[in-house]
Amino acid sequence: MKTLVLNQAEKSPESKPVSKPDSSASTGTTRFSDILSDPAVRERWEKVRRYFFLRESTYDMTSRCNIRCDGCYFYEGEKQYAENNSDPDAWRRHMTAEKERGITYAVLAGAEPSLVPELCQVCSDVIPLGAIATNGVQPIPTSVGYKIHISVWGNDQTSRRVRHAADLLKKQMENYRDDPRAIIVYTFTRENIDESREVIRTLVKNNFKVTFNVFSAPVGYQGHLRHTPDSLAHMRSTMSALINDYPRHIIYSPYNTVAHTHTLGLHSLYGCSYPRRNPSKTIGLGRSFRQYRSDLTWDRQAACCVPDTDCDDCRHYAAGSAVVTARLFRHAASSATFKAWLDYVDTYLAVWVADYSKGTNLCHHLVPPPGRNPA
Amino acid sequence: MTNKIDGDAIIRRVAEVMINELKLEDVTPETFDADVDLIDEIGIDSMDLATVALVLQDEYAIHIDEDDYPKLTTIRLIADYVGQRIK
Repeated sequence: MKTLVLNQAEKSPESKPVSKPDSSASTGTTRFSDILSDPAVRERWEKVRRYFFLRESTYDMTSRCNIRCDGCYFYEGEKQYAENNSDPDAWRRHMTAEKERGITYAVLAGAEPSLVPELCQVCSDVIPLGAIATNGVQPIPTSVGYKIHISVWGNDQTSRRVRHAADLLKKQMENYRDDPRAIIVYTFTRENIDESREVIRTLVKNNFKVTFNVFSAPVGYQGHLRHTPDSLAHMRSTMSALINDYPRHIIYSPYNTVAHTHTLGLHSLYGCSYPRRNPSKTIGLGRSFRQYRSDLTWDRQAACCVPDTDCDDCRHYAAGSAVVTARLFRHAASSATFKAWLDYVDTYLAVWVADYSKGTNLCHHLVPPPGRNPA
Repeated sequence: MTNKIDGDAIIRRVAEVMINELKLEDVTPETFDADVDLIDEIGIDSMDLATVALVLQDEYAIHIDEDDYPKLTTIRLIADYVGQRIK
C-alpha cells in the first residue's frame, strides 16, 4: 500500500492568493520531451489527450426539485426564477444549435434533472456525451446514456437533517445498483467528514464507484457547512486514507486531494477559466462555455458550472474538472507535477465520460500546485 | 538548431508540429495555409495549443507564456512569436 506523504510546503500554505505561478514554473529545466520519455507517463498522456476534443456547457433542466438541501447553490440568485421551458422540441432545437457551435459534452444539472426525463433523453440523443447531476431519489431511464452523478452528503441521519429527505442513501442505492452509468459524489461538508468512512464502506460493499466533492459556499452563505482551515486539513487526511483503503472504488487521486482541500480555493490556485471570471472570448472555456437556465437563456456574467457559488470558497469537483485540467502548460514544469496533473485528468475523465476507466495513480505523494511551493 | 532566423523554415516546422501533434488530416506542411485561423477554421482549442507550445518550447529552447495563447491564432503568428524569442 502506498503512503501519502504530506509535502512540507502544503502544511502551511501561503495565504497570499496567486492565480498564476511565476514564469519559472513553465521554464524549468525539465523538457516536455524528457517528461514524456517515461513510458508510463507517455502512455497516460496518449490516453487522456484523446479527449481534448471535449467542449462542455451546462444546462439547468427545471427549477423544480423533490428535496430541498441546506446550502443548495441552485436556490441562490436569479436562475431559480427562470421560466421552465419543458417543450422537448424546443430543447432538441437548442441542443442541435449547441452541437453546431461545437459543444461535445452536456452537463445537465439544476434543479433536479430526473424530474424531466424526456428532456434528458433529448439532450442525450443530440449530444451523446454528458453527465447528469441528480439526488438519486428518482431513477433516470437507462436509455439516457450519460454518466449519472448521485449526490451523497452523509449518512441517513445527516441527510434527514441537512437535505430533509428520509432514507436517502437506501433509495439512491436501490435506484442505481449495478448501473454502469452511476457514480456517487460524496460531498464533504464541515460536518460530515468523520461519517464518510461509514457511508463509503456501505457504498463500496454495494459495489458503487465513489468520487469526492467539497462543499463550496454560495455567495453570502455563512452556515455551518462552510469549511474552515481545520476542516480542510481533516478532510485531506480522511480523503487520503479512503483512497488508500478503497483504490478500486474511489475515483480520486492524491493531487485531487491537494487541489480541493487547499486553504486557497480553485480560483486563487489556478485562475478560473469559466466566463464568469474570465473575460477572454478567444479560446477555451471563455469562448465556448455557457450555463443555460431552464428557460434556455444564459448570462455571461454568471456563467460557470456552479453559478452563485462564492468564487473564493469554490472547491467544487465540477469546477476543478475544468479549471485544473485546463492548466496543462503550467503542470508540465516537472515530472512530478505533470504526473499529478495526469492523475487529475484521468480521474476527471473516469468520473465524467462513459466507458472511460481510470488507471492507477502515477503520483502517490501530495504535490503542491505549480507556483505554490516556495522552494 | 540554428541561430539563423528563417521565417519560412519556422512556419514549415510549426505546421509539421501542428499536424503531427494534433493528428490533422488532409493537410501537409506544404499545403497548410499559414494565415488560416486555427481556432475559428480548424477548431483548435486551448489544450491543443498548449500541446503545440510545449513541443515548440522544447525544440527552440524558448519560453512561451500562457497569457500569450490568445495571440497565437495562426501558424504565421506562432512562427513570428517563436522567431522573436530565438533572436
